[in-house]
Order: sequence, then C-alpha cells, then structure tokens
Amino acid sequence: MFNKTFLACTIGALLSVPVSAQDDGPLPQGRFVMGGYGDVTYADTEQGNGSFNSRFVPIFLFQLNDKLHVEAELEFSVDEFGAVETELEYADIHYFLGDATTLTAGKFLLPFGQFGPNLHPSWINKLPTMPGIYGGHGGNGIMTPLMPILNDMGVSVQHTIQLKGGSRLFFDFYAVNGPSEELMEEDPNAPEPLFPEVELEAKSVDNNTNKAFGGRIAWAALPSLEIGISYFKGPYDDAGDLDYTAQGFDLSWNGTFSSVKAEWIKTEADFQDMPTDPIETASRDGYYVQYAWSMRQLQKPALNPVELVARYSKINDIEAGERWTLGLNYWMSPSTVTKLAYEDTQLDDGTEDTRVFAQLSYGF
Amino acid sequence: MRKSILLALTMAVSFGQCAFAGEQGNLVAQGAKVYNENCGRCHNPRPAEQYQAEEWSAVMPHMRAKAHMTGQETEAVEAFLASTLTQEKVSETSRNRTQSKPVSAETGKALVGQFGCQGCHVISGEGGNLGPALDGVLERRDPSFIRKKLHDPSFNNASSAMPRFPLGEADIDSILAYLKTLR
Repeated sequence: MFNKTFLACTIGALLSVPVSAQDDGPLPQGRFVMGGYGDVTYADTEQGNGSFNSRFVPIFLFQLNDKLHVEAELEFSVDEFGAVETELEYADIHYFLGDATTLTAGKFLLPFGQFGPNLHPSWINKLPTMPGIYGGHGGNGIMTPLMPILNDMGVSVQHTIQLKGGSRLFFDFYAVNGPSEELMEEDPNAPEPLFPEVELEAKSVDNNTNKAFGGRIAWAALPSLEIGISYFKGPYDDAGDLDYTAQGFDLSWNGTFSSVKAEWIKTEADFQDMPTDPIETASRDGYYVQYAWSMRQLQKPALNPVELVARYSKINDIEAGERWTLGLNYWMSPSTVTKLAYEDTQLDDGTEDTRVFAQLSYGF
Repeated sequence: MRKSILLALTMAVSFGQCAFAGEQGNLVAQGAKVYNENCGRCHNPRPAEQYQAEEWSAVMPHMRAKAHMTGQETEAVEAFLASTLTQEKVSETSRNRTQSKPVSAETGKALVGQFGCQGCHVISGEGGNLGPALDGVLERRDPSFIRKKLHDPSFNNASSAMPRFPLGEADIDSILAYLKTLR
C-alpha cells in the first residue's frame, strides 16, 4: 500500500515537471510579427500653407531560429504631387554569433550616434522635427543639416562587454558601400557650394573600389547613462581620392521623470577645384541638446500624461545657424503621443524662420 | 531497496522542481531588471499586453540587436514577459486565479519577488528607477490606489510601462500586507 502510494506520488511529481516548465518557462516561439509606427503631422510654415502630411512605417520581423533573425522597415509617404513614396529604411539579417556578439548583413541603419539608429522614429522622437544637425525626409526647414540618418549596405559586427560594477561597453564596426558624389544638373549661375556635395543615401552600386568603414564605441551605466563616440570614413568621388569623414560624440541620460539627449558631430569632405590642385578639406560641426520632463513628477493625475520638451541645435562654420524647438506632448498610451511644437530658426546670414507643428504619432 | 530507490527518486524530483522554480524566479527577476535598464533608454517601455507571447519571441531578437543585449539577458526578458499577462492572456481569468496560500506579508513578499517588481521599483533601498520606490509607498498612497494599479496599471498614467500580472484579490491583499512592512 505504502509503495503504491509512494509510486503514484513519484509519477505525479515527475509529470508535474514539464507542466511547471510550460507555465513559467520562456515565451512560446513565434516566427513572424509586424510592428512599426506611423504619424500624421500638421505643419504651419512661413514659406507655405499649413498642410497635413502622413507616413506609415511598417517593420517586419522574422525569427528563423535561435541564431538567425530577419528585420525590414519600409516607409510609405505621399509627396507634394500626390504620388506615394516608398523607401526601404533597412532590410538585414542578424546572426547571433555568440552570447554577446552579433553579425548583421544587408541594408542597415549605421550605428553613428544615438538619434540615427535608435531615436528618430516619430513615436520615440520627442519632437515632431529632427534635430537641426540631422536631415529628414523633405528637408529640415531652412537649416542645412550636417548629415541625414545614415543607412547603407554592407556588413557589421557588434559586441558587448560586461564590466565590473554593472556597466558595459558596446562596440560596433561596419564596412559599407559608402558615400558618392551628388549628381546635380549643372547650373552655370549657381554659386559654388561651400561644402562639397556628398551623397550619403545608400546605393546598391559603389562608385569606387574603396569601402567606407566606421564604428561606435560606447560606455553605459544603465539605465541612466550612455556615452558614445562614432567615426565614419569613406571616399566619395569616382576615383576614390576624396574622403568624407564624420565623427561624433553622443550622450544619453535618463532619470525617472526627465531625460537629456545630446550629440556633437563634425563632418569633413576633401575637395579639389581642379584635378591638378592640391586636395583641400572643408569642415562643418554642430550639436544638439534636448531636455524632456514628464509632469508625472508633480503627482497631479491630470498632468500624468503631459511632457515638456526643449531642444537647442547649433551648426557652426559653413551655413551656420541655430534653432530652438519647444514642445508639449500628451501621451495616450506608452506608444501613442500627440505633440505640439514651436520652432524658431536663425541663420548667421540673417535668414529667420518659425514653424508650428501638431503631430499624432503611434507605434504599433 | 525498492523503497530507497523510490524515496531517492522522489527527493531528486522534488529538489529538481525547487531548483527549477528558483532558477525561473531568478530569471524573471533578472529579466525585469534588464527590461528596466534597457527599454527606457530610447522609448517608453511597451507593456507586455501590447503583443502576444509568440509575437514577443520575434520582437526580442530585434531588440537584442538594437540595445546590445546579450543572449542571456534576452532570455531573461523573455522569461519576465512570459510571467506577465501578454495580450492573449489579458482576457483570461486573471482575476479569478485561485489563491492557494493564505493572505500574509510573507506570501506578498514571495509574489513581489516572483514577478520581479524590484527590477523597476526600489525595495529596501535597492532596485530599478523606472517606477516609483515601493519603500514607504503606503505612506504616500492609499491601499485602494495600489489595488487599482495592480488591476489596471495604466488607469492613472496612459503611458505606464507596468505590466499586468496574473493576480487575484487575495494575492493583492498579500502584496499590500508586504508593502506595509516597507519603510
């Protein structure tokens, strides 16, 4: 009798092991999910009529197995003539080489700074506009940005090192097709550009035999602080003699109710007036600093969803200027926000511009 | 001889179960900590209920690469998400969960540990900062607020990252009893 009871208990206990594992174990494995974001923006500018604009940006994620993962992001928008514009923001495959090392191949966002690879999606970006140093689709007002959100085709490897005390180091290195000469129609009356016309949009054909290389190294004491330095260099002319170089410093600080984001970028481009002339280098630099504060800190229930944001952008040297952007956000869910913003830009040549924005952005 | 074998087998199984539960509990707590440390770096953390569990398993490798998380950290976050109410579970009978243990601060402490609350909240001087400290929380908040928050984390803050957990009324009574002990 005793033995039978004991045996039954044992079998029961044995059977309970997989049940417990199923209840409390890791997630059930899926293969595909579509996420992404979208937004509708009303912009009132001095140059044109106040207008609505809308984008839809789906992200497709495929998990092939524990080691392989595919991701792709498309952007659909409508241009000023009513035509649908489609852009492939990235389409790449990750191969998880080890616990802390990942190989990526395809078209991907270059890990230069933090705004480009991580912060620019509109439901994450706390203002309806880009910082003045970055170019967006459709330009960035009267300010001539230092660079666009960088993406390109090639391969990259990233690695994480855990340090004593809980902080860590992030490494990213990549090789991509790189920049090219901007092809423009010759206008004999156009003034000579002060900074060489370098095309940084990703292309499927490299115009020279040399690849562009770059990377980012960052130190992070999470969840509060992350500091990084970035570097990117590649020849842009057909002969491969003229280099485009960018270097950057980025900082991110997150508190319970507030955050600070800041980046400094310096870009350099070689140029020659005539093929026999010595190579010269033009240089531009600039930065932005952004502060956001959640009014949840006031412990007033009605103000819990409200956030105030201020951003200052400045570009030095060529086509210099500065910009203030002030915003008020109302969060309807963790990934749905209505933003109101006022932006004032003043260039050193005396040109001024103010813009007012209202944007509804959603991550899904 | 046979009794000895059976006894040994039973003990091994029981020990194995305890070890598994302990490891899983640690993994959930570690996952909550990783979730707190990484998600808020760039954006409001998304509550678990925004995706189904299987969808999260396809989202996490994407976030692993974005946030430079290790494989172990990613696995821990998945365990944490699995312990919460993901989208398909929210509509299930979370509030009807039967309470097997009596209401007590000890049970509450075990539940707070099981769901990794310290990953986002300071408890006894240590923990994450994504949410407010739980030390002395009942000196600042009414128990009815805590009860409502545990039932519906976004009721007072639409952008709250706090997940819904499978808690019954008796579980919440136990958690409140434990929170009373935190100064």
